[in-house]
Amino acid sequence: MENKNLKFEDKIKELEKIINELETGNIDLEDSIEKYTKAMQLVKECDEQLKNIEEKITKVVLENGETQDFQLEN
Amino acid sequence: MNANKYLTVTALTKYLKFKFDSDPNLKTVYLKGEISNFKAHPTGHFYFSLKDESSKINAIMFSSQNKKLPFVPTEGMKVLVRGRITIYETTGNYQIYVEEMLEDGLGNLHIAFEQLKEKLSKEGLFDDIYKKQIPKIPSKIGVITASSGAAVRDIITTIKRRFPICEIFLFPCLVQGENAAPDIVKKIEQANTFDLDVLIVGRGGGSIEDLWPFNEEIVARAIFNSKIPIISAVGHEIDYTIADFVADLRAPTPTGAAEMAVPNIVDLTHNLNQMKIRLNEAIYKQINYKKLYLDSIKSSFVLKSPMIMYENKQQKLDNLIEKLNQIMNYKIEKYRITLDNIKNNHILVNPTNLYKTQKQELTNIISKIELLNPLGILKRGYTLTYQNEKIVKSIEEIKEKEALKIKFHDGMIYCSIERKEGLDGKQKS
Repeated sequence: MENKNLKFEDKIKELEKIINELETGNIDLEDSIEKYTKAMQLVKECDEQLKNIEEKITKVVLENGETQDFQLEN
Repeated sequence: MNANKYLTVTALTKYLKFKFDSDPNLKTVYLKGEISNFKAHPTGHFYFSLKDESSKINAIMFSSQNKKLPFVPTEGMKVLVRGRITIYETTGNYQIYVEEMLEDGLGNLHIAFEQLKEKLSKEGLFDDIYKKQIPKIPSKIGVITASSGAAVRDIITTIKRRFPICEIFLFPCLVQGENAAPDIVKKIEQANTFDLDVLIVGRGGGSIEDLWPFNEEIVARAIFNSKIPIISAVGHEIDYTIADFVADLRAPTPTGAAEMAVPNIVDLTHNLNQMKIRLNEAIYKQINYKKLYLDSIKSSFVLKSPMIMYENKQQKLDNLIEKLNQIMNYKIEKYRITLDNIKNNHILVNPTNLYKTQKQELTNIISKIELLNPLGILKRGYTLTYQNEKIVKSIEEIKEKEALKIKFHDGMIYCSIERKEGLDGKQKS
């Protein structure tokens, strides 16, 4: 149940939503466990994304739409 | 020497002035040059010269005209003026009376800027309702600026410092000169074919002419039409361009734009940890709440003493059975009484009574019938008299010569008639 199609921001939004529900709502036990499991999965994914500081290489988009690696001039 | 050949200076000057004033080309002259020897007279009139590399002309602008100027002319300022050329007779100098003055380049640009700003504002291009939300945590950012220089460096290094996990796509473009605006438009359109979360469009600081492409209408419209939210970052904090007004968000500088475009990864990590804590607390509370609820149910009276539930039902069942029995007994008793009543009925108890009564009745009927029997009457002394086998009831019917038959209860006699006599004793015939 990975949320690969979700963007980081959407994951954070989803997390906020679930936390609010869990904090304020009176939810079925099964539901809350399911939500909690989902939220923890989201936390894990976000955490991994944040820790994965493998630096993204800036791309330059050429006139024809192709991309190349870009290096700043010194 | 004929003195008449000689003109006075005044006459010549008047003649020249007439020539100048009657020349239509000199009535309205458009002139460009640089201001020098500028003097604002206490009366409000401006006195100055306009010059270029090799020539110079005196100029005067009266206060009635110059008070409408949106700027104060300064020494060395390049201006565009409209006016008429005439001769000032006192000095014999020709000069231009300036009716209108614009700053050359800069001045025109200011006017163009104000006009475009007003036009686009009226069209609603700056309205808040069209401002797109800038995503808080983008994963792909497009940067439209020159591929070299301070702006691209500031943007890229700031993004990488704050949010290194973000992908950057640079769309290099011209940022000054005539071809810049169409190039910026092209890059905005190209960027819109990419899946990007936000676009930064801008350049570093420069003169107003340098920044001018970002004041072009086509750039403004391209920004407005972009599906991807745009942060404008043109020049320095003090520089406002049309692009800034139409962009979804205006950044004071390219560095500022990068800061607005991405969150700080440190803050984000902190927030995520906070969320993890909140999540655990929330689920603990949820589970604890359920547990308490379950405990309260478990300790409820009924569950603690299930017999109570059973006892109530048992009692109800007993009540019902008792009621049922009562009803059945009552019905049985009722039918029993009815049956007894039937059994106790007179006829059924003494059926001979019915017979006796009927026999008595029969006897009565028989004696009544006997009473009516004519033969019975004969027993009491009456007789029946026949003549020719017919009963005769009167002497009138009797024929004297024929025999009579008299019937008694125990037999008959045959006799003949002696004579007939009425009750009055008279003989009948």
